[in-house]
Parts: sequence; structure tokens; C-alpha cells
Amino acid sequence: MMEHKIVDHLFRHHYGKMVAILTRYFGLSHIETIEDAVQDTFLKATLLWRKQIPENPEAWLTSVAKNRTIDLLRSSKAANNRSQKVALNTAAVVPMVEPFLDHEIEDSQLRMIFVACHPSLKPKEQIAFALRTISGFSSKEIAAALLTKENTIAKRLTRAKKAIIANKLQFDFPPASEMQARVVRVMEIIYLTFNEGFHSTNTENVVRGDLCGEAIRLCKLLLKKEKFRSGSLYALFALLCFHASRLESKTNAQNEIVDIRDQDRSTWYFPLIEMGNSAMNKAMAYDEVSAYHYEAAIAAEHLKAKTFAETDWERILDWYTKLQELQPSAFNLLHMAIVNLQLRNFEVAKQLLDTLPVSDLEQREYLYYGCYAEYYAKKNDLILAIPYLEKAILRTSNNQERRYLKQKKIALENRLKGSKNSKFS
Amino acid sequence: MKNFMMIFIGADYQELGLSPEELQNRMGKWFAWGQKMESQGILKGGEALVPNVKRVIGQKRTVSDGPFADSKEIIGGYYTVTAENADAVVEIAQDYPDYDLGGTVEIREIMVFDQ
Repeated sequence: MMEHKIVDHLFRHHYGKMVAILTRYFGLSHIETIEDAVQDTFLKATLLWRKQIPENPEAWLTSVAKNRTIDLLRSSKAANNRSQKVALNTAAVVPMVEPFLDHEIEDSQLRMIFVACHPSLKPKEQIAFALRTISGFSSKEIAAALLTKENTIAKRLTRAKKAIIANKLQFDFPPASEMQARVVRVMEIIYLTFNEGFHSTNTENVVRGDLCGEAIRLCKLLLKKEKFRSGSLYALFALLCFHASRLESKTNAQNEIVDIRDQDRSTWYFPLIEMGNSAMNKAMAYDEVSAYHYEAAIAAEHLKAKTFAETDWERILDWYTKLQELQPSAFNLLHMAIVNLQLRNFEVAKQLLDTLPVSDLEQREYLYYGCYAEYYAKKNDLILAIPYLEKAILRTSNNQERRYLKQKKIALENRLKGSKNSKFS
Repeated sequence: MKNFMMIFIGADYQELGLSPEELQNRMGKWFAWGQKMESQGILKGGEALVPNVKRVIGQKRTVSDGPFADSKEIIGGYYTVTAENADAVVEIAQDYPDYDLGGTVEIREIMVFDQ
């Protein structure tokens, strides 16, 4: 009965693997046909596996997808030259030896990541293409994850594929001269993917853990190859591990958001923290210092505190200040304001809030209003705090966040009533 | 005991463009349903049908290729089961996984001819 559990996420994970390995053999110019073939294979599996799941589901999928690709390529070739007899082996450009080896699949997936990050694709197309082709999400799922309309994602995917064909991109790693810049972009994509999952501006949280898992998987894939290893890649991996260790504790059994103040620290997943620590040590062995280093240091500082009260806010503020010097952003300023509130440096916090470029926060603007509310609440100015919370509630697209903010608002309103009553009694 | 056919209409996965994850979830439900019927000894057989349709119509035997109507009306497959009566099959059909995709189950008793 549990057999379908054994193959949890098999289709989605295998989608990326199959597309990558088949692209390696048939060429990047056939990516559309390959994707169709893989999709057809899943359709076939859903019908055939209704009765019996094969002994080795992965091998079954790969071999059916390969044959389907050959079929589709042949029929399109035949359509192109109807007058000519098509040789049966035209499709196989490179002799294909099965079963595909794990390192071959991994290598193909890495190549695909670099294709996704090619500069001829626009940044927004890059992330959509990566989530689809490497991670196997549908347009609908990507749209949900990135808070975009489904047909916008479909257009980005079409444009990405057109750009690949138009620029004759090869399924290969970038030349040494471009490697550095491309790896930087690959890391950004991984970071963005993780953040979408972790902070989840998504209205529902279905894809959230999946996005984080995918980002970690891709990072690990890069770290396996010596040529990609660097201080910033290790620091990024550490950062993802540190954050992911808290993923479970961010929501309770009712699927409500739990503030880091109230998170059950005993549920933080220790093996991930350990993995993060060891990656951080490796990151330190390199000379470079990146934003990922500072962000990982901040995440580690939170994990170190046994209770919320024991958090070393001074230290965290110091890391944020360094991060802001290296890579200025509205988010850093917002976080610095939050940390200053914890340190009761109210005026510094207010000044940061007053001056930060709010529109840069985009979908996370509600955090800014929430922080203002926090400022007034801490100063016991509840009459001013409540309208800011209302603003925050209006700006969030995530149902969980909204529920959380509404509860906060009710708490403030009760506090306000309490203080009024005590004044007049 | 009588034999019945459950005919599955509509909910064409290809048409609906389901994602790999969704397809896999569907498959899991079909698998669980099949296993359940099998363990109760009620499942006799069944097949899935390719959605391409060819029809031969009328006196002139005109041949036409699908798709014809709405894909909502296309038969995607069938199961034959054994049960006491049609109501019992209605009960079995409660577990059909694709109602949420607009799918329909039609239940027909298989006719038995006396010798």
C-alpha cells in the first residue's frame, strides 16, 4: 500500500535528471522535444503503474523517455523531409550507453545549471528556466513560488528556449574566462530559489520545502566538483544549511507561523547545523569574503543562542554593518532596524526605517510596516502601532503571514484596551 | 455476483497539462485504489485508452479523425469489476481519483446471455 510513497517526488526529481542526460546526447537544440518526451513518459507511467510499479522505476522512466525522444525526433525529421527516407539512427548523435552513470547524470545537470545562467537569458528567464528544467517544477508551480502569473512564466520559458536556439548555446561548461562570472550567477539563482522557499511569499506553502531542498541539492552538486569550490560557495552552502535547520520550527502543527522568539529550539535540526559548521570552516580556508559569509555568520549567531533572550544582538548588528558595507541593500537596513529595536536603540531604528528605500523591498514590503509597528509598540505608542500593522496586513500575499500579523494586531488591541481600563478605573 | 464495467470519462491528463509532481500523486491514488480492489477480489481487468480517436460514421462509412467533442467526453479507460449490484459499484467508484479534475465514472452492467 505504501509503495507510492517509496517513489516520493520521483517524477519531479527525475524530470531534471532525464532532461539533462537526454540533452547531453541529443543536443541543447532539441530541448523542447526532450521535454515533451519526458512529459509523455510520465503520462505513460501514470497509466501503466496503476497496476504495478516496476522493479526499477528510474531505469524504466529513463529508457522510455530515451525511446520517446528518438521517436519524436524521427517523426519531426520525417515531416521535414517527406521525400527522403530517414535513416533510423539519425537521432543518436552520440552513442548512448545505458544505464547512465550517476556521475554522468550529475555532470549533465551541472551543465544545465550553467546553461540556465547564460547571459543571453534575462535574469527572470534564468530562474524560471532553472526551476523548470533542472528542478522539474511546472509553470503553475513556478508561478506560485515566484508570485507571478502562470502565463508570464510560460512566456519566460519560451523566450529562454528561443534565446538558447538563437544564440546556438552549447551544452557545455563556460570557457575559463567566463567561469567566474557564471558561477557567481549560479550561486545567486540558488540563493534566490532558497529564499523563495524559506520566506515563502507564496499564498500556500506546498512548494516551500521543495524549493529549499532543491537549492541545497544544487549547491551540493556544485561542491562535488573541485573546480567550482570556493569560499563563497562553501559559505552559501553553510547559510542554506543553517536556515534549513530551522525550517520545521517556523510553523506549528496548525501551520501557523512561529516567531523566532517562540520557536522550539530543541527541534532545530542538528545534522544540518553540523553540516553548516563544517562548510563554514572550509569557507574560512579561502581568502575571499562574500555576502554569504556574513549572512551565514548571522544565521549561525541565531543558532548559537540557547534562548531568544541570549541572542547576541551586538554581534549580529556588527555582521549586518559589514554586510551593508560590502553589498548595500534595503533588506540589510531593515534588518539593522529590527536588531536596533532589540537593542532598544529606538532612535537609530527609527532613522533607519525613515530613510530606507521601501520600494526595493517589493513583495516583502509588509516586513517594513511590521517593523514600524514593532517600533511604536516597543515605545508603548499603541495608537500609532496598530495602523502600521493594518498596512502590513494589507501588503502581504501570504495567508500564513496575514494570520500571524492579525494575531499580533489583536494582541496590541487588547493591550490598548487594558491600558485604557487601568487609566479609568 | 454480476460483472460491471466502470468507464472513465474526461480528466485527460495530457490535456490538463499536469506537472510531474501532480502526475505522480495521481498515479499513487490509482495504484492504491487498484490494490484495494485487488485485495478484495473485485477487480477483473481493465485498460487505459490512447486519446486519439478515429470514427467510422453512417451509410457512407465516412472516416473521421478526432478529436471530436470536448475532451471532457473522451473515454480514458475502463475497469471491469464483480459486485452484488450497481449500487455496490457506485460504492467502489467513490475512490476514483479524478473527480476533482472533472472526471466521470459511468457504471454499466455486462449483459449475460442464457444458453
